[in-house]
Amino acid sequence: MKIKRAILLLAAVLLFAGLSPKLAHASPYEGYTYSYWGETVHSPIAYLPSKTITGQNLGIGPWRSPADIFAALDGHLYVLDSGNGRIVVLDSEWKVVRQMKEFQNNGKQDGFNNPEGLFVTESGHIFVADTENRRVVELDSSGAFVREISAPKSEVISSNFEYFPRKVIVDKAGRIYVVARGVFEGIIEFDSEGGFTGFMGTNRVQFDPVDLFWKTVSTKEQREKLIRFVPIEFNNVDVDLDGFIFTTTADKQTFAPVKRLNPSGIDVIRINGNIGPVGDLSRNRSAFIDIDVSGNGVYRTLDSTRGRIFTYNEDGNLLYVFGQLGNQQGTFKNPVAIESSGNRVFVLDRDQGRITEFAATKFGSLVNEANGLYSIGKHDDAAKLWKEVLRLDANYEMAYIGIGKSMLRQGEYKQAMTFLKLGNDREYYSKALTKYRREYMREHFGIYMTVLIPLILVVIAVRRSMRLRKGELKKDAVSQGG
Amino acid sequence: MRFLKEARYSLHVAFHPFDGFWDLKYENKGKLRIALVILLAVTVTMILNRQYAGYVVNFNHPLELNSFDELKYIVLPFLLWCVANWSLTTLMDGEGKFEEIVIATGYAMLPLILIYLPNMLLSNVITLREASFYYLLESAAALWFVWLLFIGTMTVHQYTVTKTIMTMLLTVVVMGVIIFLGLLFFSLIQQIVSFVYTIYQELSLRA
Repeated sequence: MKIKRAILLLAAVLLFAGLSPKLAHASPYEGYTYSYWGETVHSPIAYLPSKTITGQNLGIGPWRSPADIFAALDGHLYVLDSGNGRIVVLDSEWKVVRQMKEFQNNGKQDGFNNPEGLFVTESGHIFVADTENRRVVELDSSGAFVREISAPKSEVISSNFEYFPRKVIVDKAGRIYVVARGVFEGIIEFDSEGGFTGFMGTNRVQFDPVDLFWKTVSTKEQREKLIRFVPIEFNNVDVDLDGFIFTTTADKQTFAPVKRLNPSGIDVIRINGNIGPVGDLSRNRSAFIDIDVSGNGVYRTLDSTRGRIFTYNEDGNLLYVFGQLGNQQGTFKNPVAIESSGNRVFVLDRDQGRITEFAATKFGSLVNEANGLYSIGKHDDAAKLWKEVLRLDANYEMAYIGIGKSMLRQGEYKQAMTFLKLGNDREYYSKALTKYRREYMREHFGIYMTVLIPLILVVIAVRRSMRLRKGELKKDAVSQGG
Repeated sequence: MRFLKEARYSLHVAFHPFDGFWDLKYENKGKLRIALVILLAVTVTMILNRQYAGYVVNFNHPLELNSFDELKYIVLPFLLWCVANWSLTTLMDGEGKFEEIVIATGYAMLPLILIYLPNMLLSNVITLREASFYYLLESAAALWFVWLLFIGTMTVHQYTVTKTIMTMLLTVVVMGVIIFLGLLFFSLIQQIVSFVYTIYQELSLRA
């Protein structure tokens, strides 16, 4: 009777389980990260699409191939609507604040011609890389023309130099950096007056041994038809609050697509793990087309191969991945620019002419917060949050390292070792081991010695007695023989 | 008791190779079973080493550990070495019989156990800074092994020094040739099998 009832109950439960719909996936993409071993590991989703904005939504007509966006410090979002040659300023509630289309340049009406890059300084001055007009235009916050900076003039630049600025940034000191099309020498640097000062941060020439071999065996005619070894041009830049310049290179061969240049143009990006910021670890590599630096050294790169956004912390550890190419809301056709403001991320889609806003999920904001505390050295506060992160994602290696480091500070060496091992941080594991070893020996040295010394004495005694007996036997043998 | 005595003799070979390998061949002190036991022990040592070497020096992905790999990396090369060496030395007037080659090679592998096992225990208490010590011991084991193998080959075949070195290098080449032939053989067999199977299928579908 009992069994029958149990079976009936079970059947009912199973029936209900079968009928109830599967959990709906609110996200058009899956969350994942890469483990220490370079394997993809499932991970909760860190950011979800929360809104999409197009020109029609705003009632100002569709955007035509918009090329760049910029999130200013005051929360305003600047959209560079290249096809229409205008700049649209939106506030944080997505209301149109202002449109800038034309301006007075020395008494003449002037406008943009297919501009590709946009930058807004802290004081609200707008810099536009006006590509087809071959100049950089500076407007003040009201949209009035201030000045234009045209092609760099110098003896080091050849006379047939074609200047097509694509991206522009301005650092705190007012120096202007321009990424131009087909310029392999690096970023073009202007001083605050607009005078050309030089190139900085040149990419190294990439070559592989196979190419070199063919080059040496080929004839002069063949050699001329081969591709030349030229450094790869930068395709985008961003500047962080400390004045370091982040650059991206859309090259699928390079293993250093992201650079962090110090003021003298030397790459100082930190790579802590064994995999640097390269995006996906697959044969078809990611091609970064934009980079956005948010606080605490966290930077996000936008990949055009699969339309994904990779977020790294200042040590170059991958925090999370989101986004994808596709037709659903929250996916992109041709993503070209990324910006972030607080816990929101904006991605501009050129072909669809729209901006997708992403908002952090619980997991995403936990990781952001924990990583923020971690990066300023508040390991103990961070550890509490990392524990929360682990509750959502037991595969999150950064969290294990964070907790491990905190325990190391608190003197819990044994536990720190466990966590650092789970997080695969050999360096800190080794530090914990050194401390633990010392502590262990201090406690147990006495016991070991009290066991060891008598043991050695016993062994010596036994051996001596054995030898003595052997000697006697020999003596006996000798005496008997004699 | 006799087995223990034979096992102790392998230690004598490791520490006094010239004397040891001579007696191995001419006094019949080398035993095939000891050589095979050493081979087994080396395999086990390597498996243990992969699994239990200290975290600081252990870069194996735990999910990819497979004990059969050790057969592939130790037993197979061992057999290949013996076969290649035997095939080569028969042509190069070596005096060694196949059994003697197996015995000498087996005995020569003893240092791998002698050093790897204590090294594995040591690696669990060392830090990253002391890890170079671990690698030093590892290379010492490898050098010792090669040294014993060299003396062993020289004694077994009664070669001069240069001829021994030449033979050892050529043996490695022959090992490559054997692997190549093996792969070729298997791929041809595979094609024949698939050919026959296709014909069988064709016939059975027509019938």
